[in-house]
Amino acid sequence: MSNSESSKGEIDTSHLYEGKVVRSSAPSRKRAAGTIKRDSSIPKEAIPEVNVPNWIETIFGGPVVTKRDFLPPDRMVISLQLRASLSLLILCFLTFMLTPVSGTVWFAFSNIIGMTAIGVGVHLILIVIGLVGGFFGIFQRDQRAIVISYIALIIVTIRFAGSKVEFGLSFLPEGEIIQKLLLILYAIFLVMYIEISSGIIRFSQLDTSIRTGEVYVMNVNKISKKYSKALGITPAIAGFVAMLTLFINLIVPAFVSLFSTVAANRLRESVELTSVYGVALGTVLVFMVVAVLFGANIPGRIQDYRENQSSAGK
Amino acid sequence: MAWSRKSAMFASLSIAMYLLGLVLRNQQLVTVAVVLLSFLTWAAVRITHGDVASTGRRMEEVGIESGVQLENIVAMRKTSSARVFEDGEVEVTLRIQNRSNLAKVLELRDRVPEVMRIKKGANYVLMEIGPQRETEISYTIETPLRGFYSIGPVCIRVQDEFGLFHNEREIPLFDDFLVFPKMEDIKDAMIKSRVPKIFTGAVNIRNPGEGSNFYNLREYLPGDPMKKVNWKATARQDGKMMVNEFERDAVSDVIILVDSRAVSETGPVSRNSLVYSTRAAASLSQFFLSRRDSVGLVVYGDEIVSVDRDTGKKQLYIILTKLAGAMAKGNTPLKIVTNRIMPHIHRGSPIVILSPLEDDPTIVEAVRDLRARNFEVTVLSPSSLEFEFDARRIDRTGYEVLKTERDTMITELRGLGAYVMDWEPDMLLFTALAGARGF
Repeated sequence: MSNSESSKGEIDTSHLYEGKVVRSSAPSRKRAAGTIKRDSSIPKEAIPEVNVPNWIETIFGGPVVTKRDFLPPDRMVISLQLRASLSLLILCFLTFMLTPVSGTVWFAFSNIIGMTAIGVGVHLILIVIGLVGGFFGIFQRDQRAIVISYIALIIVTIRFAGSKVEFGLSFLPEGEIIQKLLLILYAIFLVMYIEISSGIIRFSQLDTSIRTGEVYVMNVNKISKKYSKALGITPAIAGFVAMLTLFINLIVPAFVSLFSTVAANRLRESVELTSVYGVALGTVLVFMVVAVLFGANIPGRIQDYRENQSSAGK
Repeated sequence: MAWSRKSAMFASLSIAMYLLGLVLRNQQLVTVAVVLLSFLTWAAVRITHGDVASTGRRMEEVGIESGVQLENIVAMRKTSSARVFEDGEVEVTLRIQNRSNLAKVLELRDRVPEVMRIKKGANYVLMEIGPQRETEISYTIETPLRGFYSIGPVCIRVQDEFGLFHNEREIPLFDDFLVFPKMEDIKDAMIKSRVPKIFTGAVNIRNPGEGSNFYNLREYLPGDPMKKVNWKATARQDGKMMVNEFERDAVSDVIILVDSRAVSETGPVSRNSLVYSTRAAASLSQFFLSRRDSVGLVVYGDEIVSVDRDTGKKQLYIILTKLAGAMAKGNTPLKIVTNRIMPHIHRGSPIVILSPLEDDPTIVEAVRDLRARNFEVTVLSPSSLEFEFDARRIDRTGYEVLKTERDTMITELRGLGAYVMDWEPDMLLFTALAGARGF
């Protein structure tokens, strides 16, 4: 009974014709002629929306779904923003301390025109641009501002140093080891700032994609914990490798001293080994070892070993 | 292992800083470069650990239970149905097992055909899957367009925590399914054969005989059963006894011709002549088969595909399958099709032609031949002009010129005794059929 009643009532045919109300008679062409414009261009809604990420977005986004309009930050993003701003503060302070204006292009130019204050001003402005642009980028999640901040903080370090480690502030220690450790600390903070600020964009994209249903994330807490853990481990390892490289003038003589004390002493006194070329030699040695490890697929073998060992244990 | 743009930027930045540091003898730059390179190297070491490399096989080659696997990741998929109608839904359940003893962070995308829409759930999942664990992902896809489709492969990506490097593999797990054109309920197609087959059935044809539909009144003849006497009519005829005659119930052959030439796909993807023709053919087949008629189908485009006349539900599914696979290709003229099929069908059988009536100079000749052999021809012509005009792809002047040409062609076909309907996009099939008959 109810079926027959419903069949007599108004029939909803919207599902048949993509939500359009269906007429039971032919459409009036006369009426259509009066309403439809003579525009022969393709209507905007007919063109499918394709989100092609620009190059800045691809740098930050990597393979995650790209979206520029972010939803308000979640806890993970807020925590990253705080970490990035702390890194940026420390980085700018270290940059100010460790990077003297002497040897820079702007300092040379200001010297030529006889107004050294301009050179110092440009130097400080670059650091301020890095700081302010970074803060703006971090909290507004503006990728362009973040990139500007990176560029400013890298440009400020480009100077002719003449193989001497020279700091911007005179009260800093002059011991070789402590100088190199300060340099490593500065480098680590620069890399961490770059990583955490790009992490803000990545996690914002991910969070937006989760909330808009484009991607479903299982165990999101474990994934963010892994990222946080990696943020702790990776700089430590990078710092350790950098130490091996920078302290090659101490490591090589110590190794040579096992065979010849005289040769070791000569190496210790070598100016080249203490200079930037010593660091280059250290880089070559360390990364040769890394290349051999990769060539022999040692990481893959370790992986296999771990999996097999666990299987045997079971 | 693939590099992302971020890692490429890191690598080029570190190399540039390193070289610049050497040139300017700047230890600060060299130190930054070394730390960046170390950072990259460590990330590369970690991505090698998330190894998913191996080969997989198609689902058919292995038992459903064992699934298809990469080295340690196994994927198994279940779909709710292998045959659905347009605007239907398919529920997909994907089971992922990590047979390794190490936890893995996976980015997983189950590839669905581009025309499908995800209605519920997500086919793109980022997950942390523990050792010897399994997880299940469910999502529902909408099937807006007819055709043969495959879900798969399952793309798996493992990347390091910083998004610098990734390993990407595909598990070749495929599930095929078929989307039939959707059908409209038709109360009456108004298409009746003048030529009965020897078996009686539920279909009344336009000849008097034993049936249930009223056909005519005539005078009583000796031998007529008394139950057929129409007493009211007898009273009006001053005592001359009148009896009711009924239409003869019989089964008939119905042939449906679907034009799937390249021109039939003119218009938007979801609103073009071929889409409407296939839907109409499906609806008509269902209607005629429910009347116990024999229905045959001919789809012509780059080749002539035919389904021989038969009855029953099985025939409906055979027809629907052919319609689902109809592709807009080629330019076979209607005359070739009619010449080929005419010797095999009974004269007088209804023939329904679903065609946009474009780009074929043989249409008039073909219909003339059919009419000359007493076939009852009904032409339903979904107007690609209307689709184009609705999508604002042609301007008014062009539309009017083409419309005039089309109207002339339709008038000519009507002059040959065919029932022709200019089927405009928003018109129901039933209305179009009624219109063809002049209702």
